[in-house]
Amino acid sequence: MSVRMVPRFTLAQRIEHFVLIISFNVLALTGLPQKYFQAAWAERIIQVLGGIEQVRFIHRTFAVILIAEAVFHVGAVIVARRRGRERGEMNVSFQDVRDVVGDIAYLVGLRPTKPAFARFDYRQKLEYWAVVWGTAVMATSGLIMWFPEALARVLPGVLVPAARVAHGGEALLAVLAVIIWHFYNAHFRPDVFPLDPAMWTGAIPLERLRHDHRAEYLRLLEAGLIVDEDAAGVGGPEDTLPEPPSRA
Amino acid sequence: MVPIVLGAVLGGTLLGAAAARPPAVLAQDTRQENEACLACHTAPGMVLQLPSTEVISVTIDAARFNASAHGRALACTACHPANVAVPHPAVRATTMREYREARARVCATCHADAAETFGASVHGRAGRMGFGDTPNCTTCHNPHDAARVKTPVFRNNIPQLCGTCHADPAIMGKYGLRAVYTTYISEFHGVTTTLYKLTRPQSPTPAAICTDCHGGHGIRAASDPASMVHPANVLATCRRCHPTAGRFFATAWTEHRTPSPDASPLVYYVQIFYRILIPATVGFLGVLTVLDLGRWATDQLRRGRTG
Repeated sequence: MSVRMVPRFTLAQRIEHFVLIISFNVLALTGLPQKYFQAAWAERIIQVLGGIEQVRFIHRTFAVILIAEAVFHVGAVIVARRRGRERGEMNVSFQDVRDVVGDIAYLVGLRPTKPAFARFDYRQKLEYWAVVWGTAVMATSGLIMWFPEALARVLPGVLVPAARVAHGGEALLAVLAVIIWHFYNAHFRPDVFPLDPAMWTGAIPLERLRHDHRAEYLRLLEAGLIVDEDAAGVGGPEDTLPEPPSRA
Repeated sequence: MVPIVLGAVLGGTLLGAAAARPPAVLAQDTRQENEACLACHTAPGMVLQLPSTEVISVTIDAARFNASAHGRALACTACHPANVAVPHPAVRATTMREYREARARVCATCHADAAETFGASVHGRAGRMGFGDTPNCTTCHNPHDAARVKTPVFRNNIPQLCGTCHADPAIMGKYGLRAVYTTYISEFHGVTTTLYKLTRPQSPTPAAICTDCHGGHGIRAASDPASMVHPANVLATCRRCHPTAGRFFATAWTEHRTPSPDASPLVYYVQIFYRILIPATVGFLGVLTVLDLGRWATDQLRRGRTG
């Protein structure tokens, strides 16, 4: 069986993801020692990086890179929507709630097959929106702490300590979520270990699409965008699942 | 007009000459005199016991003393005139408090300005009223030590110095004050200061330390209208370091309070939000991950049995 690949990410999206990897890691490396400043490991990291001023300079530099990337992403989504290239595949709907319930039922053995996920399943959507939410919170609270004097010209100063608490809390949440969720789904899952190459090659094997994103697979098949000669299972019980609702 | 100009020129010349003078070096006889004192007083563990059983260390670190402002300019007997006689006459103070007060009078002979400012401060006034916990000169300054006030080491250590008392709820409780040290250390300024102390002790922290906002010798109670942190003055005090601070800036300061529904409620509720969100998210993601692994393991086992 030859491995046929279905395009999944554009080159621009893959570069965006790479920028996100770099900035996220540098921000975590220079941010967490500031949050846990009394720990010995934090002191060592700050010492190695040349002192707290250098750590803050690096942190703010990569924060600017991440914010620029976020602005680019929003722009890219808007342009893609205008040109009809983007069909709202990251939109969250009630179908996703059903997918979570269905997936849990599958995982505990209450049903034989996993739900027919669309192009992006609920795990991927959760990650995507977590990054959107996290970046928004971190950028807002970070900028408040960076420019407290300007903020207090128009808004209550209490937003500064509140932003500091939010920045630290959200940072911890983001790091934990990436370690548990992203590392598992994209690296340590037995079927993708050591790494899911889709974000690097930009393509997913047709067979994986058939299993893991069945709704998308069927949509592409029906639209005549892919041909699957190996699909002996098409028309089998897995395909009697309802079509996902059409998306806005 | 001419005398003023002349005076200014003369004065300027004199000042310039003073500034150009090499650092004070002890006269030969004074140095010998100090060496005679240090011949005994460098022995480790020398103590003076007061009738109150309180013990004062009288061992001097010669290197630190000789490098200190006093050691480079003064004979030991300048501050300890009675001790010219050997054996030294008995100390008149019966308690540590009396001893320190006697020392403070010695300090005041040269440092009259500081003594006057301190006398008007909340610490000085409380001391005169007889409150036992109040500091005076030698509580914060070691006259025999090289760690002078203008050094980064002294600056970076000020929160710990003030914390000697202001971290102690037992002492603070007597005066209706909060033990503010811990909250300061966890505030933005305190974090930066701690990091400077830990990783760059030779650089002075740029973040505000206790004395930057409260004043040093002249510190007042926060309720005193003359206090730098009195509500009417606090924004002006912030602007000493944050000159562009907007008019609502002072509320960014949480008054050394731990956020609660009554103190900085917004900060408190953000804390609560993350205290719930983090474990809830981690729990949800963790359970799904464990289920996923469990399903995979079960499938492997089944495949093993049937195949």
